Amino acid sequence: MTSRRQVVKFVAALVVLLVLVVTVQVARERAYAFNPIEEDVLYVRSGEVMKRASLSYDAVMADVYWIRALQHFGRERQKEPADRHFDLLYPLLDLTTTLDPLFTVGYRFGAIFLAEPKPGGAGRPDQAVELLRKGIASDRAKWDYYQDIGFIYYWHLHDYERAAEWFRRGGDVPGAPWWLRTYAAVMLTRGGDRQASRSMWIQIGQTEDEWLRSTSETRLAQLDALDQIDTLERIVAEFTKRTGRRPQSWRDMGDAGLIRGVPLDPSRMPYQLDPETGEIGVRRESPLWPLPTEPAAAPELTNAAPPVPK
Amino acid sequence: MRVIRAIAISVFKESVRDKVLYNLVFFAVFLIGVSYLLSQLTAGQDVKIIKDLGLAAMSLFGLFIAVFIGIGLVSKEVEKRSIYALLAKPITRQQFVVGKYCGLVFTLLVNLAIMAVAYYAVLGAVAWIAGAWFRPQWGAPALDPALLKAIAMIFLQLAMVTALALFFSTFSSPMLSAALTFGLYAVGHFNADLKNFDAVVDSKPVVFVAQALYYLLPNLAPLDIKNEVVHGVPVATGYLMLNTAYALVYIAVLVSSATFIFMRRDFK
Amino acid sequence: MLAIRTENLTKDFRVGFWRPRPYRALDRLNLEVAQGETFGFLGPNGAGKTTTLKLLLQLIFPTSGSAEILGKPVGDVGVKRRIGYLPESPYFYDYLTAEELLTYFADLLGYGGRERTERVSALLDEVGIAGERRMQLRKFSKGMLQRVGIAQALLNEPEVVFLDEPMSGLDPLGRREVRNLILSLRDRGCTVFFSSHVLSDAEALCNRVAIMAGGRLVASGRIADLQAFQAHGWELVVGSLTADSLERHRARVRRVTPLGHDRYSLELPLEPAPELLLRDLIAAGAHLVSLNPMRETLEDFFVKKVGEQPGSRFVDDSPAKAS
Repeated sequence: MTSRRQVVKFVAALVVLLVLVVTVQVARERAYAFNPIEEDVLYVRSGEVMKRASLSYDAVMADVYWIRALQHFGRERQKEPADRHFDLLYPLLDLTTTLDPLFTVGYRFGAIFLAEPKPGGAGRPDQAVELLRKGIASDRAKWDYYQDIGFIYYWHLHDYERAAEWFRRGGDVPGAPWWLRTYAAVMLTRGGDRQASRSMWIQIGQTEDEWLRSTSETRLAQLDALDQIDTLERIVAEFTKRTGRRPQSWRDMGDAGLIRGVPLDPSRMPYQLDPETGEIGVRRESPLWPLPTEPAAAPELTNAAPPVPK
Repeated sequence: MRVIRAIAISVFKESVRDKVLYNLVFFAVFLIGVSYLLSQLTAGQDVKIIKDLGLAAMSLFGLFIAVFIGIGLVSKEVEKRSIYALLAKPITRQQFVVGKYCGLVFTLLVNLAIMAVAYYAVLGAVAWIAGAWFRPQWGAPALDPALLKAIAMIFLQLAMVTALALFFSTFSSPMLSAALTFGLYAVGHFNADLKNFDAVVDSKPVVFVAQALYYLLPNLAPLDIKNEVVHGVPVATGYLMLNTAYALVYIAVLVSSATFIFMRRDFK
Repeated sequence: MLAIRTENLTKDFRVGFWRPRPYRALDRLNLEVAQGETFGFLGPNGAGKTTTLKLLLQLIFPTSGSAEILGKPVGDVGVKRRIGYLPESPYFYDYLTAEELLTYFADLLGYGGRERTERVSALLDEVGIAGERRMQLRKFSKGMLQRVGIAQALLNEPEVVFLDEPMSGLDPLGRREVRNLILSLRDRGCTVFFSSHVLSDAEALCNRVAIMAGGRLVASGRIADLQAFQAHGWELVVGSLTADSLERHRARVRRVTPLGHDRYSLELPLEPAPELLLRDLIAAGAHLVSLNPMRETLEDFFVKKVGEQPGSRFVDDSPAKAS
C-alpha cells in the first residue's frame, strides 16, 4: 500500500468517525433531553474561602463573579415578571466585593438593583444595605456608599430618621459633596417630597455608568409622569365638579373642553383612565410601568408628624 | 563576573531555543481575544478587567516558566552529565549556581518586558476605541504608568520563586522540586493566616511556631499590589523599597543555601 | 614537580537505602605521574578508574587521602586553566552548535575577542569537524561528539590532559584518530592520563601504566618492566614443511598449529635457541616465514592479577569473608 493511499484511507476514516461522534451526541440529546439547570448554581458561597483559593488572582475571580452577576441579572430580567427571583444576585455581588473590596461598581449596582422591588430587582433593600456597609468597612472615604444607604432608607424603606443619619455621616466624609448635608436636613423636615427625590435622582444620574444613568433617567421620567398625573387628576376632579359624574374616557374630557387630545406620558404612551375609580395611571405597555411608590405617599405615614431632628 | 555572565547567557539561550518565548504569543492572543469579547459584557468595567487579566496572566505564565525551568536548572545538568566537562573548566561551583540563577531571572525579565509592551498596546487600543483615556469608573487611566509598579512586584515574586526552585533543584528530583515550589508559592499567599493564629488557637507554643513560620516562609502576599494599582490607589515608594529589600534578602538566603549544598555534592 | 600525585586516596560510597553501608570504590591509591608522560590507567569495569578520575577533577570528594595536580591541590581553580578533560561518553548541550559550545567554553577559560575565535576555529579544524561547526550538537553522531569532546579538552593547550575511555564506542577509524591524537599530544610534551579497559591501546601508546582491580592498584610501571612481560617462548612460522619433517622434530615443539598449505606455526620453549630447530627444518626443505618471541600479554597479566582480588568491597565485611 503506498503511503498516499494510507493517508487517504486515514483521512476518510477520521471524517467518518467524527461524523459519528456528532451524530451519536445528537441522538443522545434527542432521546434523553439534557435539562440545563435553570438556576445558576453557586458552589462556593463563602468569599473568604474563594479569596484563599484564588491565591493572588482574586481580582480576576472578582471580575468573573461580576460578569456572572450581570448575566444572572440579565437572564432574570428576560423572564416573565412573575418568574423573576434574582436569588443569586446578592451572593454573587457579595463574592465579587469580598474578593475585591475596592470594586465600587459592585456595591453600587447592588445598591440599586438589590433594593429595587420586584419585578425590576430583587426587592431586598436589607441585603443592599448589608453590601454597602461592607463597602464602607473597607473604604471609609467612599461617601457614595453612605449616600446610597441613605437613599435606600428614604426611597425603599421609608425610614427618614435613618436616612437622615446616613446622609449626615456621608456629609462628614472628607471630600463629600455639599448636598449630602442638605438631604439630611430635607429628610428631617419634610419627610421627603418629590422635589427632593427628583434632585437625588439627578445626582445619582451624574455618572459615566451607562446602566446607572439610564435607571436614573427612567426614574426622573416616572417622577414627571407622577406630576402629570397629579395635574390630570385635578382636571378629572374639575370634570366631576362640572358634570357630576366620572369621565368615561379621555374623549369625554376632551368634549368638555378640558383637554386637547389624549394625554401622553413622558415616553409618548397614552395615560389610561379607569372609568370606575377615576384613577389615572400609565399603561402596562409603557416603559415607565410600574410607577414607583413615593415615600411620602406611603399610606402609613401620611398622618404622621414630621420627625423631630435629634 | 565574566563566568557568571557567560553561564547566564547560556541559560537564556537554552530557554529561547526551548521555545519558551512562545508563551508570549499565547499571552498576546489571549489578551486581545478577551478584550474583544469583554467589551459588551461588563457594564463599563472592560478596562479594569483587561488590566486584571493582563497582570494575572503575566504572573501565571511567569510562574510556570520560573518553576518548570527552575527545577531543571541544576538537576538537568547533573543528570545529563554535561556538568562534568563544565566543572573541569576554571570556574567555581558557586559561580555555576549563581550564573544559572541569573540566567533564568534574566529570561523572566525579558519575558515580562515584552509582555508589558503588549499589555500597554492592548490597553491603548481599547481606550482608543472607547474614545477616552480615562473614565472615572475605571479608577485609573487606561495607560496608567503605575501598572509598571505592579509588574515590578510581579518580577520580584518570580525572582523569589525561581530562587526556591533553584534551591530544591540542587538536591531533589524535578518532580519533588516542582511540588515543593508550587506548594510554597501557595502557602506564601496565605501567610497572613499564620500571623493571626493567636485568634484561632490558644496554645502559646503553637502560636509561636505559627508566627515563626510566618516570618521564615516566603511571604509573597505583600508583593501583590495588582488590585491597588488597578483601582488607582497610590502605592508608597517606601513600601516598594521595603518589598524589594525583603525579596533580595530572601533570595540571597536561598541562593547561598543552594550554593552551599551544591558545593558539597558528589556527582556520581 | 609531578604532573599528578595521589597519596592514600580513598573513596567510600554509601550503598543501600535503609542502612547504607560504605562500599570502598577506591582503596589507598598512591600514584605518581611525571610531566610529559603518557600514562595508561587500566582495569576492568568497576575497578575504580572513573572514580579516580572524578576525584582528580573534584567532581567527587575523597573520604581520606589527598591528590595534587601540577603541585597544587585538586580543585584549585588556577590549575584548571592548565588542564583539559574529556569525560566518558560525553554529553554537551544539544541545543548549541559545535562552534557555540567551544566559544562558550573558551569564554569560561578566559579567552576573548579575536583570540577566542581563532582558537575555536583552529580546534574545529584539528579534530576535523570544521564542516559541521554550525550544526546543532543534537544531530551529532557519537564519533563526532567524541571529537567535540577532544576539541573542548584542548582549547587551552593544556599541560595535563585527562581522557576517560577515549576510544569507547568508536569505530576503527575513530580509534585510529584518537590514537594519533594522543601521540601528537605526547610529541608536544603534554602529560596524557587516560583510562581504558582496552589493553592493546595502552600497549601501543603508553610510557607507563597502572593496573587497577577491585579498587586497588595492583601493578604500575613501564610496560617493559612489568615482570611478566618477559618472553617465555618463541613462535616460529615455517612453510613447505612436510609431515615427515614435522613428526621427526615434534618432541622439540610445545605446540603445533597447522595453517594450511604445509605452513605451520610452532610454539617453542625459550631454551634452546630456536635457530637450532630452524636450521634443521630448513635443511629438510622448509622455509622461514617469521620468528617472534612470545610474551605474556598484558591481557594475561591483567586477568591473573584481577583474579587475585578479594570478593567483597564492603568496608564492614570482615576479611574472613573474602574468598
